[in-house]
Amino acid sequence: MTFTLLARCPRTGQVGIGIATYSICVGLYCNGLRGNVGATMTQAFVNQGNNPLGLRLLAKGFTPAHVLGELQANDPHHEYRQIAVIDRNGRLAAYSGPKNRGWAGHVSGEGYVAMGNMLAGPPVVEAMARAYEASAPLSLERRLLAAIEGGRDAGGQVGNDGHVPERSAAVIVYGDYDHAELDLRVDLHDTAVEALRRAFEEYELYRGYYRERGRNPRAAIPQYEFVAQLQASREAAQ
Amino acid sequence: MTFSLIGRCARTGRLGLGITTFSLAVGGRCEGVAANVGVCKTQAFPNRTNDPLGIKLMAEGYLPARVMAMFAANDTEHDFRQIAIMDREGRIAAHTGGGCRGWAGHKDGADCVAFGNGLVGPQVLDGMLQGFLARPDDALEHRLMRAIEGGRDAGGQGTPDAHRPERSAAIKVVDRLDYPEVDVRVDVHPTAVAELRRVLEEFKLYEAFYRGRGQDPGKAIPQDEFAKQLEARRRA
Repeated sequence: MTFTLLARCPRTGQVGIGIATYSICVGLYCNGLRGNVGATMTQAFVNQGNNPLGLRLLAKGFTPAHVLGELQANDPHHEYRQIAVIDRNGRLAAYSGPKNRGWAGHVSGEGYVAMGNMLAGPPVVEAMARAYEASAPLSLERRLLAAIEGGRDAGGQVGNDGHVPERSAAVIVYGDYDHAELDLRVDLHDTAVEALRRAFEEYELYRGYYRERGRNPRAAIPQYEFVAQLQASREAAQ
Repeated sequence: MTFSLIGRCARTGRLGLGITTFSLAVGGRCEGVAANVGVCKTQAFPNRTNDPLGIKLMAEGYLPARVMAMFAANDTEHDFRQIAIMDREGRIAAHTGGGCRGWAGHKDGADCVAFGNGLVGPQVLDGMLQGFLARPDDALEHRLMRAIEGGRDAGGQGTPDAHRPERSAAIKVVDRLDYPEVDVRVDVHPTAVAELRRVLEEFKLYEAFYRGRGQDPGKAIPQDEFAKQLEARRRA
């Protein structure tokens, strides 16, 4: 059980994933993003070889539809997987295998796939898609967060005894570089989506400082001074 | 300010990184861990492109010492970086630039390098090495956890009169495959090392279940059932 929105931002070309699930440490499995190549994610019963293979196939030039076909042909258990593939042009393919448990499905739009399994029903993926589309002017990371919050608010995941909590969540975005532009996780928490939002809003305050400190070390103020300034501006705002 | 240890398990060839720092979400800036290639970590005032570049260079066949020389030549601010590199055979190179702030240094031991900056002193590196070397037969992730706990218990970050808390922490371990085997994180927390211990212990309880579920889905029990069994065993 998991709900995910995988996307390519049509404005910036960035690729990203927003994901929340009952499983712990889900960020461990989100290794299918690469700038200028594309994005792929396999979930439900995970085949961990799929994401690296899918990225390599995209990098060779195969279309998402062909990559998905290869991932299926290469895996005797593919009917248990849920897979999305998006290339750097925003073309996409998605598959919710018939042996996923509970309600499983996906919806897609321009450059994105919302997908999930063991969900309360189709409204969960539909709410993710709506939240993603409605937030179009925002940064990709904010749109991904809005999507998983939308999925949570539409009922999220359902196990044998009813609703189950999100225990881990992640939002990851790649741009032009080999390293992530944002890679933020909550690995073990009772309300992981809320915790991820809190972590994001806090981290967002530091992002520019961290980036600039690496690029221009000579001009960087010590971080505890930066923290004191943050604290002062928070107090002034209250 | 940060303290980290890169290490290798001589028995299995597994490679890994344990890290903690005052900065938030440090685990999201650790791309330099690649199975059967090596580990590369740049910190202090990091150059984010170093680590992916270092992995590519080691994969081409370059030694850590040569990779470090190329980093120096490729970066006008090399003097502000702190870098440790280890290849799959356990060869190492380490650099603590003169521009790193506070007490900064690195120290190597068997199959590992401990390095940090903005620390209370060299005892932090010794604490990390002792933690890592205490039980060499344990799984690498446990040795890395003990290393960062050893660094924390030896005083961690700050100055003798102003300790700085660990606000994020991470452990990453790769085996033979091209995805990590262990990748646990704490991104925003007032005592991130203690919280990472909690996450790691919990992850280890689920690790085999998650792997088995993916490899043989037909036999997998639902996860909420597995969680109930875990809970019952805990109570017993």
